[in-house]
Amino acid sequence: MAPALELSGITKFFGDFLALDAAHLSVDYGEVHALLGENGAGKSSLMNVAAGLYSPDSGSIKVAGAPCRFSGPRESMQRGIGMIHQNFKLVKRFTIAENVLLANPRGSFRAGKAAIEREIREKAAALGFNLEPARRIDRLSIAEQQRVEIIKALVAGAGILILDEPTAVLTEGEAQRLLAMVRDIAQAGAAVILVTHKLRDVKAFAHRVTIMRGGKTVTTLDPARATADDLTTLMVGSNVVTPSRSTKSVGENRLTVTALASATVEGLTPLVDATFSVRSGEIYGIAGVGGNGQTELADALVGGRQPSAGTIAIKEPGSPTLAEITTATPRQRRDHGIASVPADRQSFGLATSLSIVDNFAVGFIHDGRFGTAARIDRGSMRRATEAAVREFEVQGVRSLWQRAGLLSGGNAQKLILAREFSRVPSIIVAHSPTRGLDVRACAAVHGRLVAARDAGAAVVLISEDLDEVLGISDRIGVMTRGRIVAEFDAPADRHAVGRAMVDHV
Amino acid sequence: MPAWKQAVAVAGSIATGMLISAVILIVSGVPASDLVNEFAMNVFDRQSFQAVLVQAAPLILVGIAASIGFRARFWNLGLEGQMVWGGIAATAVSIYHIGPDALRLPLMALFAMLAGMAWVAIPAFLRMRFAVNEIISTLLLNYVATYFLYDLLYGPWKDASDAYPHSPLYASAERLPDLGHGVNAALPLALVFVLIVWWFAEFSRSGFYLKFIYANPAMGQLVGVPIIPVVWTAVLMSGALAALGGFVVPSGIAGRLTEGFFAGYGFSGVLIAFLARNNAATAAVVAVLIAMLFVTGQSFQIFYQIPFAMVQMIQAIIVMCVAASEFFIRHRIRLQR
Repeated sequence: MAPALELSGITKFFGDFLALDAAHLSVDYGEVHALLGENGAGKSSLMNVAAGLYSPDSGSIKVAGAPCRFSGPRESMQRGIGMIHQNFKLVKRFTIAENVLLANPRGSFRAGKAAIEREIREKAAALGFNLEPARRIDRLSIAEQQRVEIIKALVAGAGILILDEPTAVLTEGEAQRLLAMVRDIAQAGAAVILVTHKLRDVKAFAHRVTIMRGGKTVTTLDPARATADDLTTLMVGSNVVTPSRSTKSVGENRLTVTALASATVEGLTPLVDATFSVRSGEIYGIAGVGGNGQTELADALVGGRQPSAGTIAIKEPGSPTLAEITTATPRQRRDHGIASVPADRQSFGLATSLSIVDNFAVGFIHDGRFGTAARIDRGSMRRATEAAVREFEVQGVRSLWQRAGLLSGGNAQKLILAREFSRVPSIIVAHSPTRGLDVRACAAVHGRLVAARDAGAAVVLISEDLDEVLGISDRIGVMTRGRIVAEFDAPADRHAVGRAMVDHV
Repeated sequence: MPAWKQAVAVAGSIATGMLISAVILIVSGVPASDLVNEFAMNVFDRQSFQAVLVQAAPLILVGIAASIGFRARFWNLGLEGQMVWGGIAATAVSIYHIGPDALRLPLMALFAMLAGMAWVAIPAFLRMRFAVNEIISTLLLNYVATYFLYDLLYGPWKDASDAYPHSPLYASAERLPDLGHGVNAALPLALVFVLIVWWFAEFSRSGFYLKFIYANPAMGQLVGVPIIPVVWTAVLMSGALAALGGFVVPSGIAGRLTEGFFAGYGFSGVLIAFLARNNAATAAVVAVLIAMLFVTGQSFQIFYQIPFAMVQMIQAIIVMCVAASEFFIRHRIRLQR
């Protein structure tokens, strides 16, 4: 029998960035097939190709042996492929039945609703749980919403079910129940693709596993025959990264974070008890799978959101005492010499509708160097921006007054670095600073971080890209479920770090 | 899209709006030939032009009031309530004879502005402290202000000489002086504030911060923009300017506080800010155009018994047409068979 889904030679570029490099995957009916890899390995991109959300630049898709080409998710759904995304696609104010009906029109609304309600009850009963179709989505727990998504796909007749990181938002018990259910769905004849980075789930619930790294398919194997160590090695690779330098001038503690915790927001992992310190002249890399509290940590450090417990203290160069900044405003933190490179640069790094000059000058204008409160001096703003743009090699600037949103990702990031580093910060918080950048822009950003460190700054580098963390960090902390669970000195054993990341300490 | 094409799109949409309005007016009984005459008279007839300029001053003030509030993403729909309080505060100065005659007008203006700031401070506080939507709170507070005004005009402030619901006539020192040609001091006063607001928005540091507060407040906060003080400044300015409009209408036109002196200005102010893209200088020009519409509407009311609400309807039609033109500015249209 032909495989349920066969993807071969799938290549996909986003701009200059190669997200998928001739990736392939073959899934049979009746099996739970895990797709394993680090963040950015290309798992989600590949699945979005299968679901018709991305059209590949090259490669072929076969469903049950028949070649197809999808111009949208509807066409993929017609071929029996249903994808359950990490962020549920449900209308919160509608009932379960209305949501299912929205995705599966059934003639008239009234008659359709009755039919859909019956179908929902049947499918839910077959999977061994209860789902009252008249309940509103916003009254449901996350786990229940996920069941609605699954029912929605099954009602649509999906014979191939793709679940993108389904357990990321669930508690331990819910996750076990979900995976057992997924196994039942496969037992009944469907093909289930489980996108995950959790080795334990793979070993316990998958019939086969395909491992991806850097947009390529590494291999497909039977997880029962491989050890967790083997899988880790395949997932994170075994290339040895040489540390960029030997530790030379590490100084005193600059930043001390003690027992930091953040309030729980539904669906997100809060900070539970993050404790670490960073010294002058070192890069402290925080490795970890995305969604383990990194965003909350970065927010707490730069003042975007107040932590619910714990303290952040800093020691400025030349100052004999520690200053606590746990509740300081972003402005106060900047005045203490903290620079921030946010993960989402389009939302938090730049005002994309304003000019390059504005975006640069906003970081300094309050100290009076660009004119008085009553009259700003655009000439000096422009000159300072011009100098910084040249020094930080921001390219693609046709005019300094052009919208910052017109810059490419790499150049936008360089503009942010220009603003943040021009003041010679003593502490730098960089969150995924190279996400989505091409190799050259990556190197430029890393060069800036290393240069700032060599100039004596304490750098916190939060990244989901293990290569990045291993490549330039002097010390590495691994963050899992809101805690720093392990620390390593550079050069760190890639394998050990990888294991700590995926709960195998 | 280049600027000239945008201008063409906006001008075209205004023309479309006027055309639709013209059709409605003709259907309701205005002869087509008179329609053009009445509108042209605003510019070519001296008396009408004076009426337009008199009408323009308060419209300019509410227009820039709305635009400075909108720049801070504070959707101040309480312009009329602030005008009412401006009128009440100015009239209080008249009724209680506060200050010497020579200082009477500046005091009235000052009291009006302070009252407007106090009134807008309520929704501003509610929004910044408790995240209460200011669109609702400013709008509803208009009714509170209006009923307070009625209470004064039907009660303690009622003119004893004729028993109508309006305040006693202002003394001559309390009326904005005529500068000749029938234009009173309200217009230059309004233009001075246009200059101030324009400067504030374009050249002051707070104006620079406002750009970030409008474009991306979350990012602005992270790079150290002092959001709360700057928003407060802009909101208080907005309230003060609207209230100043509430001072120049009674002092410049009727010479007393009347029951409906503020009617229609709130909506017009929002409209002016919208059409002027929150730019104070442009708002002054748009306000003059809206003033023409007001004056034309008044003569339609007299000569053709067209209700004044028709003026507001025409404004609404033009707003909708301009809003629709955004679609043509943001999208490129390609005909496909």
